[in-house]
Amino acid sequence: MSWIGRAVPRREDEPILRGEARYLDDLHVDGVLHAAFVRSPFARARVTGVSAPAGLTVLTASEVPGTLLVEGRPDLELTDAPHPLLAGDEVRYAGQPVALVLASSRALAEDAAELVEVDYDPLDAVVDPRAASETLLRFEKRSGDVEGAFAAAAHVVRARHAIPRVAAAPMETRGVLAEPAGGGLRVWASAQDVHRTRAGLAHALALDPAAIRVTLPEVGGAFGSKGTPSPETASVAAAALRLGRPVKWAEDRFENFLAAYQGRGMEAEVELALDAGGRILAVRAHIVADLGAYLLGNTAAPPHTCAMLMCGCYAIPAAAVTVVGARTDKVPTGPCRGAGRPEAAAFLELTVDRAARELGLDPVELRRRNVIRAFPHETPLGFVYDSGDYERCMDLAVELVEPEHGDEGDRIVATGVALYVERAGGQFEEARVAVEADGHVVATAGSGPHGQGHATTFAQIVADALGIEPGAVGVRLGDSDAGLDGIGTFASRTTAMAGSALLLAARRLRERLDAGETGPLSEQARFSSDQVFGSGAYAAVVEIERATGELRVRRIAAVDDAGTIVNPLLAHGQVCGGTVHGLGAALTEEMVHNEDGQPTTASFLDYSLLTAAELPDIRAEFVQSPSPRNPLGAKGIGEGGAIGTPAAIGNAVAAALGGRHVDPPYTAEKLWAALR
Amino acid sequence: MGGAAVKPAPFAYASPTTLDEALALVGNESRPLAGGQSLVPMLNFRLARPERLVDLERVEGLASLREDGGSLRIGAMTRHAAIERSRVVAEGWPLLRQAVVLVGHPQIRSRGTIGGSLAHADPKAELPVALAALGARYHVRSTRGARTIAALDLALGPLMTTLAPDELLVEIEVPALPPGARTAFVERARTHGDFAIAGVAAVRAPGHAAIALLGAAPKPVRAPAIEAALINGDELPAPEVDDAYQRALLTALIERAIA
Repeated sequence: MSWIGRAVPRREDEPILRGEARYLDDLHVDGVLHAAFVRSPFARARVTGVSAPAGLTVLTASEVPGTLLVEGRPDLELTDAPHPLLAGDEVRYAGQPVALVLASSRALAEDAAELVEVDYDPLDAVVDPRAASETLLRFEKRSGDVEGAFAAAAHVVRARHAIPRVAAAPMETRGVLAEPAGGGLRVWASAQDVHRTRAGLAHALALDPAAIRVTLPEVGGAFGSKGTPSPETASVAAAALRLGRPVKWAEDRFENFLAAYQGRGMEAEVELALDAGGRILAVRAHIVADLGAYLLGNTAAPPHTCAMLMCGCYAIPAAAVTVVGARTDKVPTGPCRGAGRPEAAAFLELTVDRAARELGLDPVELRRRNVIRAFPHETPLGFVYDSGDYERCMDLAVELVEPEHGDEGDRIVATGVALYVERAGGQFEEARVAVEADGHVVATAGSGPHGQGHATTFAQIVADALGIEPGAVGVRLGDSDAGLDGIGTFASRTTAMAGSALLLAARRLRERLDAGETGPLSEQARFSSDQVFGSGAYAAVVEIERATGELRVRRIAAVDDAGTIVNPLLAHGQVCGGTVHGLGAALTEEMVHNEDGQPTTASFLDYSLLTAAELPDIRAEFVQSPSPRNPLGAKGIGEGGAIGTPAAIGNAVAAALGGRHVDPPYTAEKLWAALR
Repeated sequence: MGGAAVKPAPFAYASPTTLDEALALVGNESRPLAGGQSLVPMLNFRLARPERLVDLERVEGLASLREDGGSLRIGAMTRHAAIERSRVVAEGWPLLRQAVVLVGHPQIRSRGTIGGSLAHADPKAELPVALAALGARYHVRSTRGARTIAALDLALGPLMTTLAPDELLVEIEVPALPPGARTAFVERARTHGDFAIAGVAAVRAPGHAAIALLGAAPKPVRAPAIEAALINGDELPAPEVDDAYQRALLTALIERAIA
């Protein structure tokens, strides 16, 4: 009996629900000092002095020098602007850490931090990315006869879209506990994975990675925001090394809003060239990304991904994309659930709907004339899609959503459809499956979880290969000393990559068991592959009240093709969570900075997350086109909802408004003004 | 002073058990602490930095809720949840129940108090608007004596009231509704439990109309022109609000409230 495709309940839930899970702030080591940061109140200023009363333990950039790791990429033009651990003679965003204060409790450290005096010469802040004189990133890619296609086109459709910055807002904020150990460090971090944390700390502290052991406690979510170690994490680790004492930092919600890297923040001008029959001949996109003050290790990823996905699900022969990553005096950006994919889907899909309106075609029919039907498919931008059935996803989404359009007097009702394709997986992961001396089967992976359910899924994969029950498979995760290399948990890659490594290891173990070997046995595997491309179609029915502009989503259809689904229960949870995330981005979420660069949405009073009361009926189905690039046939499901939903809502809103342009979030006030 | 360090900036703490003790303690840098649902977050953000908190939790006699000669008398420390569950309120002053269920979430209502909401004077709070429509009177005490404030004369603007630093709001008196009265409280908030962007408290009875607005001004206001039109059966004028969107929203909410 196969365990692949079975709705096995999460083994992770019981300890969490019983309150037995231990998160970063639950950990204690004797002699620990607690950290609080002195943060810049200005978006841009020169720092001319830092002073503190005698007796305080205060560290500044002179004691904690260094910068965070930024890995270059041959195809990206990156400016040398890494984030300093602590600010030196300038600060470039409100909330940037300037000094680290240590005390015997967090509360006392906060009291002490108020006694530190920093002299600032405030400077004008660059807030608008289009007005920025400095760039952090440039990227350009083109292929095919783009100019010829536009010159010959029967229709050229142009649109401009802006997607605001958002906060990832995980339930657990960031944090780290670092303890000196034998010339190196023992680190517990609220992070997405151990490998990037260790590599980032090794770079920032100029330590051999082997001298750092990183362990993940239970992690209460990240949504992309705990991927690359933060300046605070590195500063705390540096403080522990310098003082020879364990140091802990568990940030509060205000710090998380101020200083955790944010997502999105992109604008685009998109042009489509179409022939008289509605076939898209070429796409041209110019993307401006509001990257913030410094490059973090993963700041470049979202705008690059966005640009590379600008052909979407369509067989477009020619494409040209440019990205300007503007340097603004705001907290840096990085991945947030979707990480460039929601932006690409919105930029392209909203423009496709505009084309349908201008050509007088049904938006679904226009898509039908252009969707990719043969795989593998190489886009002019160079991505090679592995498998999919985009048309079937679209037809299923339309069927599930039961479209409505019309004027109901006091309200307008409309339906929007959007397709998406996303890059997932790629690079490598290592895993081990062993029969231990006591006969227990243990699966160990380099990839660790931060709420997804790795252990449940991994146990199913191993149980399936060994012909045993998942409950008989112990799972060990999240320890950099496990002897397993890997990259981490992001980009919807874990099932495809770590899951496949486990499957390979389990198959080899099965061969040895079948050959009659007994006693402790262990098999380790490394799985590498090219990226895989999940896809899907989302459709939403919305109503807008004329008198107030209030938007209500009546229902949403979520059709995702993530290849083979190992656990439909967990996959459904990811779809619902991602859809709610996407609804928040479409309806309420926006990080706002005023003209001085001060964030004005730095608490849940102002930054509005949806509640259960606002959620519509979500009708989710899967299409399964296995990936040929891994033995499971898996792709990734963690981000689809966050990618497809905002674009579907955006198209429904545009249809309701008769094409009048509004950028997200689609607040009642904006929609009311658009209806005037 | 002593005591363990806490998230807010350091402060002294007093926990009196009688009103006289409490009145002797409150003053310029000594702030009363009621349910703490607004003040404690402000303390944690270090936006509020009182030298001393005077906790009213243990003060006797401030949490009563009773009918007295046709009026409702609500002690300032009465929890939102007590108002929500009170049969006296539901039967005689349903507008208060209609408003209080819109205050935050159950956890907030189990701690938050009516007096705290009024004295905090957040212009987005529901109860002060409902009480404005009901023509409530606020009984205030200090070591200097006692006085009564009419509902519309308490708030001056966001987080500002006519209460002197040494005064405590001790009781809310709500007159009986006119015979045959019907009431409604409607609001628009971004999400369930969030602060309202706009809201309307309405009381209608033969020959009587009271409309109080949330979101028309930085404090609760009545809408006398609309009230007169309702009594006379005239076409309703638009609410007097400068912001065009707030005006549209309040117009729609008023229509819903009187429907």
